[in-house]
Amino acid sequence: MKAKTIEKILPPPAPHMVGDGFRVHNFFPSGFNMANNRMSPFFMMDYNSKIDFSPREKPRGVGVHPHRGFETVTIAYQGKIAHYDSTGNSGTISKGDVQWMTAASGILHKEYHEEEFSKSGGPFQMIQLWVNLPAKDKMSKPKYQAIANNELGKYSLDNGGVVEIIAGEFKGVKGRASTFTPIEMYNVRIKKGGELTFNLPENFNSGILVVEGEVNVNGQKAPTDNFILFKNEGETISIKADKDSILFVLSGEPINEPIVAYGPFLMNTHEELQQAMDDFNKGKFGYLED
Amino acid sequence: MLTQFKKYIQQKTRITDEHFDIISRDLVSRKVKKDTILLREGDVCSEVFFVASGLLKAYTIDNLGKEHIIQFGPEDSWVSDRNSFYFSLPAMFYIDAIEDSEIVCIKKEFYEKAEKLIPGFNSFTVMILHNSIRFMQKRISLLLGATAEQRYLDFIELYPNLTLRVPQWMIASYLGIRPESLSRVRKELARKNFKPN
Repeated sequence: MKAKTIEKILPPPAPHMVGDGFRVHNFFPSGFNMANNRMSPFFMMDYNSKIDFSPREKPRGVGVHPHRGFETVTIAYQGKIAHYDSTGNSGTISKGDVQWMTAASGILHKEYHEEEFSKSGGPFQMIQLWVNLPAKDKMSKPKYQAIANNELGKYSLDNGGVVEIIAGEFKGVKGRASTFTPIEMYNVRIKKGGELTFNLPENFNSGILVVEGEVNVNGQKAPTDNFILFKNEGETISIKADKDSILFVLSGEPINEPIVAYGPFLMNTHEELQQAMDDFNKGKFGYLED
Repeated sequence: MLTQFKKYIQQKTRITDEHFDIISRDLVSRKVKKDTILLREGDVCSEVFFVASGLLKAYTIDNLGKEHIIQFGPEDSWVSDRNSFYFSLPAMFYIDAIEDSEIVCIKKEFYEKAEKLIPGFNSFTVMILHNSIRFMQKRISLLLGATAEQRYLDFIELYPNLTLRVPQWMIASYLGIRPESLSRVRKELARKNFKPN
């Protein structure tokens, strides 16, 4: 198989705050003005690179807001996030855990630093992805998949590293998350000097975020907090770790449908967007106390 | 900023590029950061602000320090203190940017030049004034006699996306109700309208 071509290695764009709890680099769509379908089915990726939050009694975070038409995937690398939603769900996303929330027809939720973490303060690092849904599933029922770290599929690497499979399948090991379209999503935890080769389909939009460490991918060096954006050419990815590293690998089959986005809504037409706004304003997403 | 203003004016009037260049020569465009104060109560307001992007608010502050929002100014809005701008009296309102905004500052001379050069500009400004009077009359009527829910439903019709852009307390301030009352209204609407699928 042919090596997957790297389009560019993107440094983290200037950060901005989401609420007062998340200091994020938006790699796409806005960070580098990518077309909004460039990474389809992934519409958006916010990366909170590692930062120390000072202790605080009142947790920082983002208050009640709606979502419709897609899924949010939150992966915690450091720190803890507490979340609550209008269907009555609540929970904590701790270090190493994944929360896969299907907003679909509509949900209200809020996300804060977990209370004890907020009181003690400390390092905080996470990713939030927005995964688009195909038109036929946009109005399906909201649901949650809370996947604790020990429930992730694990593939052991020779030198003590491990690949955690969140979604899809890696060398025969399946990820726990169920997805609406074909998606591969892994955390590669690789030790210094470790090597790894795997394939991702050519037509899938693919990228790797270097969460920790430094690696050489298909002959190019990628430091911490950089995002390796691949072209849709070739399949094979060969990694050599220059340091102990954590890589977030994402790859998915594009959804070839129009995208009309505004704020927290991701629909196919302007009419659907207006409807989403109206439904939210009129309480059709339910209610959640701020 | 001027591009957006030109696009807006060209949608509403029959102005040529050449005439727009003439009347816009002295216009000042500004990029303002969130929380920038553009006008203070008591000052004389010499400009109308056209919002090319972002969001402004015009408001008063009462004797107890409480803020009462008179108008939100999202994209393509005109925001000013007319009492001050037209009659050269001290301003009754404050005007702030709620979001990072791009605005075009329009002085009286612009109107005078535009009225001479652009066919239909006069009737366009009259239409804008009638429209804002219409909304204000409706607003007074709702403030005097409507329930909080009716006021909220009117608000979301006028400003459908502001519920995503401004905090609850600002919407409550605009509606003339307490934030807790707005929460109650939204909760009640959800009770009536939310049907889980």
